[in-house]
Amino acid sequence: MCESTRPSGAFARGLDEIRTGRRTLLRAGAAGVALSTMAGFAPAEAARRTRRRAYVLVLDGCRPDEITPTLMPRTSALRAGGSSFPRASSMPIMETIPNHVMMMTGVRPDRSGVPANSIYDRRTREVRDMDRPDDIRVRTIIERLNNHGLTTGTVLSKEYLYGIFGARATHRWEPAPVVPVSGHAPDAFTMDAALAMVRTHDPHLVFVNLGDIDRVGHTDLTGPLGLKAARRAALAATDAQVGRFVDLLKTTGRWQRSLVMVLADHSMDWSLPHGLIHLTPALEADPLLAGRVVIADNGGADLLYWTGPADQRDRAVARMLEVARGVPGVLSAADPRRARGMRLGPRAGNVVVYARSGWRFSDPDQWSNPIPGNHGHPATRPIPFFLAGGHPRVPRGRTSAAHARTIDVAPTVGEFFGLAPLRGGYDGRNRLPRT
Amino acid sequence: MTTSHPLPRRTVLAGSVGAGLAAATATPSALADSVTGDRWKVFAHGVASGDPLPRAVVLWTRVTPTRHATPGSGRGPRVSVVWQVATDRRFRTIVRQGRVTTRPGRDHTVKVDATRLAPDTEYFYRFRMGTHTSPVGRTRTAPARRSMPDNLRLGIVSCANLQAGWFSAYRHLAARDDLHAIVHLGDYLYEYAPGGYGSGQDNVDVRRHVPAREIVSLADYRQRHAQYKSDPDLRALHARHPFIVTWDDHESANDAWRGGAENHQPGEGSWAARRARAHRAYDEWMPVRMSGSAALGDGTRLFRSLRFGMLAELSMLDLRTYRDQQTSPTGSKGTITGRAQLDWLKARLRRGGPQWKLVGNPVMIAPVTFAQLPHDLVDPVNDVTGLLPRDGAPYNVDQWDGYTADRRELFEHIRDQGLRDVVFLTGDIHSGWACELPYDASTHPLGDSAGVELVCTSVTSNNLKDITGTPPRTTSLAVEGIIKTANRHVKYLNFDDHGYSVLDVTPERAQMDWYVIGSRTDKATGTRWATSWLTRSGTNTLTQAAGPVRGA
Repeated sequence: MCESTRPSGAFARGLDEIRTGRRTLLRAGAAGVALSTMAGFAPAEAARRTRRRAYVLVLDGCRPDEITPTLMPRTSALRAGGSSFPRASSMPIMETIPNHVMMMTGVRPDRSGVPANSIYDRRTREVRDMDRPDDIRVRTIIERLNNHGLTTGTVLSKEYLYGIFGARATHRWEPAPVVPVSGHAPDAFTMDAALAMVRTHDPHLVFVNLGDIDRVGHTDLTGPLGLKAARRAALAATDAQVGRFVDLLKTTGRWQRSLVMVLADHSMDWSLPHGLIHLTPALEADPLLAGRVVIADNGGADLLYWTGPADQRDRAVARMLEVARGVPGVLSAADPRRARGMRLGPRAGNVVVYARSGWRFSDPDQWSNPIPGNHGHPATRPIPFFLAGGHPRVPRGRTSAAHARTIDVAPTVGEFFGLAPLRGGYDGRNRLPRT
Repeated sequence: MTTSHPLPRRTVLAGSVGAGLAAATATPSALADSVTGDRWKVFAHGVASGDPLPRAVVLWTRVTPTRHATPGSGRGPRVSVVWQVATDRRFRTIVRQGRVTTRPGRDHTVKVDATRLAPDTEYFYRFRMGTHTSPVGRTRTAPARRSMPDNLRLGIVSCANLQAGWFSAYRHLAARDDLHAIVHLGDYLYEYAPGGYGSGQDNVDVRRHVPAREIVSLADYRQRHAQYKSDPDLRALHARHPFIVTWDDHESANDAWRGGAENHQPGEGSWAARRARAHRAYDEWMPVRMSGSAALGDGTRLFRSLRFGMLAELSMLDLRTYRDQQTSPTGSKGTITGRAQLDWLKARLRRGGPQWKLVGNPVMIAPVTFAQLPHDLVDPVNDVTGLLPRDGAPYNVDQWDGYTADRRELFEHIRDQGLRDVVFLTGDIHSGWACELPYDASTHPLGDSAGVELVCTSVTSNNLKDITGTPPRTTSLAVEGIIKTANRHVKYLNFDDHGYSVLDVTPERAQMDWYVIGSRTDKATGTRWATSWLTRSGTNTLTQAAGPVRGA
């Protein structure tokens, strides 16, 4: 499935960090929001560094055309008053984890090591989510800001995001309550935590994921017909949470020294029940491939891994490409080593197969992915992306034809705080005007 | 200003290497003209520019080196013409110049690709033949490839039937100083004989076509081009702004397809030969790069793209040369684009390119059902739109509705690739339309849209009120209401007016302003703003705008 809900062990790891004293726990606010902080953190020194604040709000799975004055008035107004990039897009694979990692690293998956939500781990021989802190192989902007003497905070509603970013941030929300089926915390609670973190610790950077739009979108049965009733309700509710955050910045005087980046990690596409691509039988029917290909299903993208002899790999890749391209609903199949511009790295497997709009993958079994809303395929690339906030460096009321991408977040935040570029350079670009 | 002195003999290349028979035989008459003192305009057809690139633009004129070297005559000498490009109107700073030879074999047209220019820059240009100097034209290069222009503003026109009225729409566009180019979406001229297609129910000719017959031969097509370029309003517009053109059917013959045309009869020879002649004359007389060059005779591929920095790319389509015959109502598997052009268009509509993907689209792509129309109104609407069938559910088989497989493939490509900001700019249908492009019209507006389509009305060609003979905003209002009700994606429809449009594109939105003229039979008629619709980036939907863009 595109958005795995299997228990990741991430929360257990977090709890272990607290129990062993590597992080200290604080209950903040009337709701008793649980925030953990790195052991040995010295708040007084960090506070002196700069009064600037940067906030990255990810409206998980939001489409750019959904931010309208009627449906999302607060977010729409925020965009209108800031600097918008209507051409913005998610990056392959258009999934939650890789794009959040791209935001915080500024580099493509061949450097970050995180190409998809779900991969086949050749070492452990299992298909798993990329939810482990050591899955990220470069330093994130979070760690680099920390090393620069600044403080950071993560407020991540999804368990696997909590898992992969681990204990990197100075301050971290310990999500609760978490909806058992979706594996995420509702936006109202996530925003409670974000507000509590800002009030209590006031980190220089806060990275927030609001998961309701995505989670509701995945299961909205009216999506394929265009009605998207549940989804619209979620959009309106999340918009109110964005409004709460802006209100806090304005009422506490932070707005004038803040950069607020609002974007999505990917958008969303809906399929009817029969719009299902099932690659497994096609691969199993091939004498060379049968029993030797593992599929990591990412909803709108299937990653195929050859597990047979290495000396037959090239022939097997050619066969996988041919077989996949012949299955109805497949948009394209490519060898990521050879596909120009894909830059997914070896963890993405041997063949990447994309679905057409209105289709979804369901592998290894036909019932593996019953949900109508999916992403991962090119149809889900467009995302909202805009800069807001009252800091003088944020342009007012500007719209740019530049092609902003999720990998632009880290360079932009880095530039805002005066950080030198990442060693080897970013793959993304700063989207603030040069001073 | 054009000078009208007799041609000095020294500009005639008689006897020079390469001079053809026609040139040699024409020389004595040129001399006689000079001796007798007859006067004619050397630059009678004005100047024009087109297809602006960041560092190049096509410059065009036609010379009449002798009194007898009239368009289509095949007469006259080879002559040398100097072209100049300057940064000022008085040509104090000439940045590029050159000399070219023209001859009767190309109807004494001159077409130059002026290169090594600066991007996003206004230039003045002119031609000289001996002591004769052409009118001065103004043009503008496109912005640099990676630049971020604040806006792109284009005049949009189509369907200018000279017999049906005066080209006031052109005059009003020529008066604007805020345009980067004019996009002409086809039916730049009409092929009919006098009385064949004029103004209104009775086909009254406000002006008569030259030659006074349906154009079939190469000489005919040349003369018709020359007549249109003798119109002062069209000349003024050409001189003021660069053109980006495509043809529709009437540049060759009505309802053309790759193997024929409704208005091509067996007695008129082979269709292939006639179309080749029409294309040849077009190549000679229009400021356009065909097959990628301004050279003559090196190919007639008209579909091409022009880029305006990272803001927009305009893909101009040719929907006549490669299409199958208009389909029967029972079948729609034929192609309107041809395989190669559709693949090319899909490649142009891509991620990573400029933000706005504009498509110069000669015929409408929005699905339109006319099924709810009362039978008594089908015939007049049919005259404008070309509907079939008379009974049942009428639809227009000459536009994309008659070629649904191509449309479906194109829309699915847009959807599969997650493209936004696709805008089709359309002519042909003698009426103003603003449409969203639903993937599924039956669920619209709940479902998604592939983009929007903005259709300019005709410069002069008959619209619904002209055909019904009813006053404006009477019969048409009912028809428009019925069509909009049955087609929820049609947001604006005006069957009554003639005029032009202005498209303004910024990173935030693309807005079309519709301007309408008064009476097309009044040479001095005025213009007024009618309405404006815009699509905000990323939405693929339309909203009515409060007013036209300013800066005219």
